[in-house]
Amino acid sequence: MTAEIRTSDGELLSVKLKKVERRRRTTAFLLAAPLLFFIVFAYVIPIFQMLGRSIDNAEMNSFLTETHEVMQTWDGSEMPGEDVTSTFYYELKTAVENKYHGKIATRLNYEKGGFTSLIKKTSRKLKNFDENANFLDQFIDVHKKWGDIEYWQALKRGTDAYHFRKYLTTFDYEQRFDGSIERIPEKLRINVTLWLRTIFVAVGVTFCCFILAYPISHLLSVLPTRYSNLLMICVLLPFWTSLLVRTSSWMVLLQKQGVLNDTLVSLGFVADESRLELMYNMTGTFIAMTQILLPFMVLPLYSVMKTISPSLMRAATSMGATPFHAFRKIYFPLTYAGISAGSILVFVLAIGYYITPALVGGAKGILISNRIAYHMQQSLDWSLATAMATVLLIAVLVVYWLYNKIVGIDNMRLG
Amino acid sequence: MSRLTKLISLAALLVAPSMATAAEVNVVSWGGAYTESQKLGYGDPYQEMSGVQVNWIDYSGGLSEIKAQVESGAITWDIIDVYARDTIIGCDEGLFVEFDFDNDFPAGVNGMKASDDFFAPMPSDCAVGNILYSWNYAYNTDNINFDGNYPDSMEDFFNPDKYPGVRSIYSSAMSNLEFALVADGVPASEVYDYMEDNGIDRALDKLTDLCTNPKGGCIFWSAGAQPPEQLVSGEAIMATGWNGRHFNAIVNEGSPMKMVWDGQILDYEYFVLVKGGPNQEEAMKALQYFTSSEGLAGSAKHIAYAPFRISSLDVIMADEPWFYSEQAGAVEIMPHMPTAPANTENYVLMNPEWYADNNTEINDAWEAWKANL
Repeated sequence: MTAEIRTSDGELLSVKLKKVERRRRTTAFLLAAPLLFFIVFAYVIPIFQMLGRSIDNAEMNSFLTETHEVMQTWDGSEMPGEDVTSTFYYELKTAVENKYHGKIATRLNYEKGGFTSLIKKTSRKLKNFDENANFLDQFIDVHKKWGDIEYWQALKRGTDAYHFRKYLTTFDYEQRFDGSIERIPEKLRINVTLWLRTIFVAVGVTFCCFILAYPISHLLSVLPTRYSNLLMICVLLPFWTSLLVRTSSWMVLLQKQGVLNDTLVSLGFVADESRLELMYNMTGTFIAMTQILLPFMVLPLYSVMKTISPSLMRAATSMGATPFHAFRKIYFPLTYAGISAGSILVFVLAIGYYITPALVGGAKGILISNRIAYHMQQSLDWSLATAMATVLLIAVLVVYWLYNKIVGIDNMRLG
Repeated sequence: MSRLTKLISLAALLVAPSMATAAEVNVVSWGGAYTESQKLGYGDPYQEMSGVQVNWIDYSGGLSEIKAQVESGAITWDIIDVYARDTIIGCDEGLFVEFDFDNDFPAGVNGMKASDDFFAPMPSDCAVGNILYSWNYAYNTDNINFDGNYPDSMEDFFNPDKYPGVRSIYSSAMSNLEFALVADGVPASEVYDYMEDNGIDRALDKLTDLCTNPKGGCIFWSAGAQPPEQLVSGEAIMATGWNGRHFNAIVNEGSPMKMVWDGQILDYEYFVLVKGGPNQEEAMKALQYFTSSEGLAGSAKHIAYAPFRISSLDVIMADEPWFYSEQAGAVEIMPHMPTAPANTENYVLMNPEWYADNNTEINDAWEAWKANL
C-alpha cells in the first residue's frame, strides 16, 4: 500500500488538490457569472417570453372564458343556441364595464376582419338589450354580421387559450373552421414571396461579399505591414461608422441626382435623360448591404490567409504547378475555414437585415424582417410577428446545424 | 457652522427653487416643419408662461410605441399627436384619457363652448382636435419639362404617359386608395361608398397600372419631410404629401414646387393624453393651452395647417398677414389653408371610422400588393 502523501499542514494531498481545484472553478464561474446572468435575464428569457406569444392566447381566453367553454359543445354547423349567445352577452357586458372590450375587438379582428366595428357597435347598444328576450335576434338586430355564422366560428377559434394558426399565416396558409388547411387568396399572399426574396438577398449578398473580400484579404495578408495596416484601416473605418450614416451615404451616392450618376453623366458614359436607377430597387439593396457586411467577410478570411505560409505556394510552383493550379489545389483549400466562417457570419446577419433594404430598396427592398417590424409596429399583431421571428430563428439554427454537419464548427476561425 | 456646511446649504437654497419648477411635459409629434410650428406656436409660449418644460419627441405615427410603454409599465410620453383612426383604436384599448370635453377644454375667444367651437365632433372621447390638414400632391416645376402644360388634376398624377416619371406615394394604404379611386373617375364625395364595394381592388389595380408602367414607377415615403426632398433631388417628379410640408418647402426653402389641390383629402389631426403618463396633470394643463383659440392660431403662424377651432380662424383673420418666417417674411396664410375655397373645389373628406374598422383587411391587401409589385 502506498504511503499517504500529506501536505505541510497535515491534510491529504488529494483532498487539498481537490479543494484548490474547486476554489479555482468557483472563481472562474464567479468571473463569468455576471455575463451569464446578463445573457440569461436580458436575452434568453425575454426571447422565450416573446416566442411564447406566438401561440399564447390566454388573455383573450380569460376575457371570454365561459363563452369559450359553452362553445365547445357547439359544432359550428348551424347558428349557435341561446346558451352561447346569452353567455357571450354577459361576458361582453362585463368587458364593457371594465373597458377591455376594445382589446377583444382588436384581437378578434385578427381572426376575421370586420370584428372591430361589430364589437364596438354591439358594445354601445348592449345596454338596450332585453335580458328576457332571444339574444341571437337582438345581436342580429344590432348588426347584421351576427347573422353570419362565420363570425361565431371566428369567436370560437379566437378564444382558444393557445393556437398554432399564426405559423400557418407565416406561410400564407389558413385553417378553415372544419380543420382543413388551405392557401389564402392569391391577392393576399405575401409571406412566401418575402421568405424567398430574403433568402435570395442573403445568399446573393454573401456571394458578392465573398467575391470582393477574397482578393482584398489576400492583398492584406501579403502586403508589408505598413501598407497592410493602412489598407486594414480602410476596411475597418466604415465598420466603425454607424449603420444609418452608412446607409444614408449610400442614398446620397446612388440617387438619380446623386454623386455616382452625376459623375457618369459628366464623363459622358450616361445620357442626362437616362440616368441609372441605382436606388429603390434590388441593385441598391445589394450594393449597400454588400458594403456594410464586407468587413465580416474580410476579417475571418484575412486571419486565415495570414497563417498560410508563402512557401507552400512556392513549393507547388517549383514542382511544376501553374500559378492557377497551385492556387486551386493548395491555397484555396487552405482558406476554406475562413470562407465558411465569413459566409455564415454574413449570411446570418443578412437574413435579418431590414433598415438598409427598407431605406434603399423601395418596394423591392421589403424583406421578411420588415414584415416582422411591420407587425410589431403597425398592425400590432404581436403574435404573428413573434411566429415569424421564431421561424426566422429556426432557419438560422438550421443553417448553423448544416454548417456544423458539413464543415464542422471546430473548423470555424474568426481570427 | 463650518464653512463647508454653509456652502452646502447655500447650494441647496439655490437648487431648491429650480427643482420645484422642473416639471416637464413630453409631447410626441411628427417632426420636421410640423413639430417646429407646434413648438414655436404654443410649446415655447406655454413654457415661458408656466415654467413647465415642454419636450418635443419625434415619431412616425402608429400606436406600437405607446402600447409597448404601457405594457412594460414604463410610460414616458404624455401627449401624442395622432391620426383620427388611432384615437379610436387607442381609446377603445384604454390607452388614453377620456375627456369631459366642455369641462376639460376652455371656451373659444368668441365665447362659444369648446364642443361648438371645434369644426367637427371628435372621433372618440379621447381626442381633442388640433389641425385640419390636406393630403395633396406637388411637382417640381424645374426638373421636369412639361412644355408649359402643367398637371392640374388627380388624373394627371396617375397618367405617366402624359407626364412620364417616378411618383412618390405614402407607404401605407391611407390616402393612396382615395387618390386612385378619384383618378379612376369616382366622385370625391363618394369614395368610401365605393370602398365597401370592391373599391380596394379597383384602387390597387389603378395603382398597379401607375407603378408598373415603365414610364411611371413608384417610390414610397414614410416621413413627412421626404416628399419635398425627393422632388427637389429629382428622385420623383410628383409626390403626394402633406400640404404644410409642401408649403414649407416652397415658402421657406424656395423650392421650385407647385401643389395640385384637385382630389385632395381633407383630414383632421388630434392630440391625445396618455393614461398614466409621467406628468398627466401638467400635461392636461399644457394641452388646454395648446388647444385654446390662441394656441391653435399660434401654430398656423408657422405652417399652412388650419386650426381646428373656428375662433382661431377669427384670431388669424383679424391679424393677416399672419404667417411669418425669417426667409419669407409675412405671408397671408388663409389662401394657403387646405380649407380655402379655391383649394376645396374637389376634395375627399377622410373617413377614419372606415380605417379603424377595416384596418386589418386594408393593410393586408395593401402590404401584399406592395410586396408583389
